[in-house]
Amino acid sequence: MAKLYEKYEALFQELELASSEKEFTYFKKPCIGAMMFFALQHKDEMCGTNGLPLTPNSISILGRSQILKTLKHIGIAQHIDLVRGKHEKLIIVFEYWNYTLYNIIESGGISVEQIKHLAHQILSALAYLNKRGIVHRCLSPDNILYNKDTRQIKLYNYGIYYITDSGSEVNFPIGTPKYMSPETLVQGLNKDYISGPKVDVWSLGIILTELALGRVLWKELNLSQTFRKILSLIRGDADNVFERLAREQDHLETYKTLPEELKDFINQCLRTNLETRPLPQLLLDHPFLSNAQDNICPAPSPVGRKLLLNSRPLDEIYHLWQLAGGDVWREMKKEGLNRFKPPFLTTLKIVTREGQWVGETKDDNIRYDTRVVSLSIDSLIERLAHIPPSAYFPLFETEYPVKRYLDKDKEKDNLSPLPLIIRERDTEYQFHRIVQLSRLLEAYPYSKVMSQIIKEAKIDIPPFLRHKVWTCLLHVKGNIEDIYARINKEKWTPTDRQIDVDIPRCHQYNELLSSKTGHTKLKRVLKAWVASHPQFEYWQGLDSLCAPFVFLNFNDEATAYACFSTFIPKYLHNFFLHDNSAVVREYLSKFSHLIAFHDAELANHLSEINFIPDLFAIPWFLTMFSHVLPLHKLFHLWDKLLLGDASFPLFIGVSILQQLRETLLSSGFNECILLFSDLPEVDIEQCVTDSINIYCITPRSITFRTHESQHTRLEGADLQRHNQSLGEFCSSLNRGRLVGSDEHKVKETQSPCYRH
Amino acid sequence: MTVVADFKYYKNEDISASITLPLTESIVELSHHIIEEQKLHPYEEDDLLNALENFVYSNNENHNDKQSNEALNITLCVNNDEDIIRYWEKQFKEETVSYGDKSGSSDSELFSTAYHKLVHSGIALDTMLQVEQSYAHDVAKLIQQRDEQIEKLTKDQEDMMNKKLEEVQTGNISSEEINNLEQMHIEQQSFMLVKWISKIDTLKETQRREFRDWVMKLLEEHQRTITLQSSFSSPSSPAVIKTFPPITSVLHETNDPQISSLEESFTIHLGSQMKQIYNIRILSANILDLCSIPYDTSNNEQQAQRIQTALALYTNDLCGTVLLTDINVDSMGVSKDFIEEASKSSDFHVDSIDKQLDIIKLHALDARSAENYTNTGSKKKGLIPGDVVITKHSNLCLAHLVFHMMVDESLYSSDMNSRHYIILAIRNIMKVCCSYDITTLTIPLLLGHEMTENMTVQWCTKRAELVLKCVKGFMIEMTSWGGSELKNLQFVVPKGISEEVFNSLATMLPSIFRVSNPLVFKVK
Repeated sequence: MAKLYEKYEALFQELELASSEKEFTYFKKPCIGAMMFFALQHKDEMCGTNGLPLTPNSISILGRSQILKTLKHIGIAQHIDLVRGKHEKLIIVFEYWNYTLYNIIESGGISVEQIKHLAHQILSALAYLNKRGIVHRCLSPDNILYNKDTRQIKLYNYGIYYITDSGSEVNFPIGTPKYMSPETLVQGLNKDYISGPKVDVWSLGIILTELALGRVLWKELNLSQTFRKILSLIRGDADNVFERLAREQDHLETYKTLPEELKDFINQCLRTNLETRPLPQLLLDHPFLSNAQDNICPAPSPVGRKLLLNSRPLDEIYHLWQLAGGDVWREMKKEGLNRFKPPFLTTLKIVTREGQWVGETKDDNIRYDTRVVSLSIDSLIERLAHIPPSAYFPLFETEYPVKRYLDKDKEKDNLSPLPLIIRERDTEYQFHRIVQLSRLLEAYPYSKVMSQIIKEAKIDIPPFLRHKVWTCLLHVKGNIEDIYARINKEKWTPTDRQIDVDIPRCHQYNELLSSKTGHTKLKRVLKAWVASHPQFEYWQGLDSLCAPFVFLNFNDEATAYACFSTFIPKYLHNFFLHDNSAVVREYLSKFSHLIAFHDAELANHLSEINFIPDLFAIPWFLTMFSHVLPLHKLFHLWDKLLLGDASFPLFIGVSILQQLRETLLSSGFNECILLFSDLPEVDIEQCVTDSINIYCITPRSITFRTHESQHTRLEGADLQRHNQSLGEFCSSLNRGRLVGSDEHKVKETQSPCYRH
Repeated sequence: MTVVADFKYYKNEDISASITLPLTESIVELSHHIIEEQKLHPYEEDDLLNALENFVYSNNENHNDKQSNEALNITLCVNNDEDIIRYWEKQFKEETVSYGDKSGSSDSELFSTAYHKLVHSGIALDTMLQVEQSYAHDVAKLIQQRDEQIEKLTKDQEDMMNKKLEEVQTGNISSEEINNLEQMHIEQQSFMLVKWISKIDTLKETQRREFRDWVMKLLEEHQRTITLQSSFSSPSSPAVIKTFPPITSVLHETNDPQISSLEESFTIHLGSQMKQIYNIRILSANILDLCSIPYDTSNNEQQAQRIQTALALYTNDLCGTVLLTDINVDSMGVSKDFIEEASKSSDFHVDSIDKQLDIIKLHALDARSAENYTNTGSKKKGLIPGDVVITKHSNLCLAHLVFHMMVDESLYSSDMNSRHYIILAIRNIMKVCCSYDITTLTIPLLLGHEMTENMTVQWCTKRAELVLKCVKGFMIEMTSWGGSELKNLQFVVPKGISEEVFNSLATMLPSIFRVSNPLVFKVK
């Protein structure tokens, strides 16, 4: 072990030595690009079929785009993010560098072997996309990135047709004219037409024709001439389109030199009869590609220094880049995009009573611009330049503390007292946190790592990894996908109607949760829970409770469901019984006791004006505050809640009352009701700190509940058998109780999370 | 589309199930349901899944292929190639940059950029406002002269007419001659009016041209010498800028010193979980004063407002004001008082109000003919109550855009409800605000500009409650429209309102909107 550690140290020293050199260039930098487009604006319609206002198209697109984040394939550029702006503006962020297949075609001189290699790569990428129900639709050499060193290709812009609901949510046509298939063209006027995977095969055929002939097709033709050319291909010999194209281009000589297999391959791609044009998956078996895999890419020859940042995933780099001040909108503006006419110049002339707009001036700047802007990562690289290489590979052996880390740790200790909101925006701090936690998370569910994760989570949870950390804290493991898949979420149940009413009112300020995709996902998870827990009922509020999990695990319903269904028994055991009055009554009376224990004056005042917890606290506890707090605040609250036990929510309730103490003491019954009808702004960090403090100084016996789940109940707490009548105003003090609180001090050390 | 699927699976046994395509769940989930429903054995899972996958994929493929082949055949038969080509050409030309026409910046865009840069440069702002002021002064002087001359002419004519009438009584002149004289007087009047109008218009046109040229030149100068030299020469002659006497004495006095004595503002929040903050103000004023032209250099508040309006002109924070126009009085959509007010100075950025009205008239005809209004009767051509006409202004004190809402007598009825066309018109206006970055909106709270007999206390409260509640609903709705959100909302009540009524309306605001309670920073 010690030897291993020494080896590790030596490696770091070497790395650090290398980093001290002054003059260097990085061999490869992270490459991220961004492209802007506009969603179609709803104008006249008043509301949708459910009587609620229409969801803007940009929201629908955003919801549908989330799935792209899960696509991982060597042949496609990684989708990183979709950012939504005002007035239906959208920016799509993805892996990108500035060299495409178009540059290759222009320079010409491609060998048949290379064509084979390219065709194979493109086809396997297309087959991967098809399997996930995605059709590229605008495949063109411009949309294929090419790496000169490794000869690797990556498709990009493959998601646009899918995320815009087959192009129906944008104004512009999706496709590149020259590469559009004849069937796409002829169905242009048919609004219901949805392209299948075979349109991409056609595009591939044209691209390969260009590569094989070493010539850009129809370069000097204008739009209508190009379309006419494509349409002419549906007439005449449909089995030999490639030869016809070669003849037309005066390249028959080149054509004749090409191997028969390649000719056949291209001809199959360019078949106008859809039934005979094969799918990408099938084409992969074509004899032309028989030994394409053998074509080994040359290894990159590194020139310059290796950038350690490249060892982090792209989406993480993008997240850090944003923390370091990166802003896609600004980058767009720098390149002359995202500039529009001032609204004063474009306003309309008349709005009719029916809501029709007359006399608008169209802004040409909202047309679709395919230009991709490369985001400059340099600022982030600079920001992280001084970070030692060892920080990228943290060690966790407690026996061998990394010396170098000690001073870093001190720094962190200084940082901790800073407010959480500031820590969450600190690039370097977040970098360290993410690296550390993701390393720990990789080891989950190895049991030894749990205590480490809890220790780290106690400091704070980086927003970038929150979904994973929460999953660990809730001890979710096992084959959750399978469990989830087996639950029938389609079958109609009587609660469906209520769910349908509740979901469009649940955290709708949030872009993801207000999208159609978000609604569907939330509904499925809720229905899965209802179906798999027949002893419980759907109570209103369950939607709010479920929303944070669906939001965090938007692409992973199974995890969301698993988290949700372990969260409920832990904190809300039996709250969703058909008759939950006994459970709720006990809970609320415990809440009253707790208020009385910590703030007698407030308790007296509240009981004097008869403002009992039943009047305001039920939605608090039934939804664990998710009904009254916006998500960003709720996350900070639940970050701590998940570390606490089932009684912790009661303390949060007390600390909220503490914050509003002055107002409450000076208010009568009516003012109090009004105040809580819409929870006023709460300083959430204060609230969290307060509730932990109160939690630590409160004897466990006060919060002992008979209705608490046996699994979560703390040992020792049930020694206090003097379960006083619930109607009592405050918990009665007797000798046994005082002994109990002494004992609690001993027991408290067993409570996993809040040891002090 | 529901299909009944028959497929072979494990050991070639047939099974049929009804499947709705496209699938709303994953194929794996579907296979579990079928296993559950048909009570299959768990070990048959994989085979079933394979069979299902094949079935679903090939079904999709066949459907796609068939549809496309049919369409191709149709084109082969009908030869509609040209339609198709035209359609795609239009799509690509109009909606994409790479295939669309390269359009350079228009004149107005260039000017707007120049103006915006200068006005925000800090140095030129004062000069520019002074120039505007001097121009406005010139126009005002001309208008004053016009009014004086016309008054004099009218008086002369009256005198002459009276003299002649006396002669008629004595019988020296026939009534025919009187008629001729009257005819002549009318002609004189209209001739003079036309003369003045053209004179004023010419002046405005010259001013506009000079101003625009000057701004462009100024910008060039400014860019050449970024060193702070405030020696900008003004357009025509260097001596134009001088101090002016307040013009208020020249014009009819509209400015009551107590213009804003009745005024109250609140900061409120909306939303149940995510709270949005807005500023709301209620004030008693003549709403036309809010869109008046600021001449009075001594009125600091008005000058500040003027600067604010100039600074925000080409930004994404515009101001809008809702004005009511009685459609029975001013059928062209904009009230005479407003036209008079707006044409008191030249507008350097947009067309003059008359020109704007001409264009609007054309559009109004368009709007109705486009919709199918034949069934509601042919007399409804042009504007109807509930329509809103929008005019743009750069010279007004507190408004860039004015929404002229067409109303009729139903406005005064006491049983207006939330489905009334005027409430819908407010919603339409707010939607425009949302799309065009109008973040400050002024609305007449009682939907009337003046206090009338029937505006009892009860009536006022009821009306204010209706408007406030509806506006609140629209504001909540607005947050989901994805445009810009209102920041400031002003409610104006007529000037003559009693303090008592005003106070009762003002107290209504915090009860309808939730006043935000700020987080108080406590020193520990």
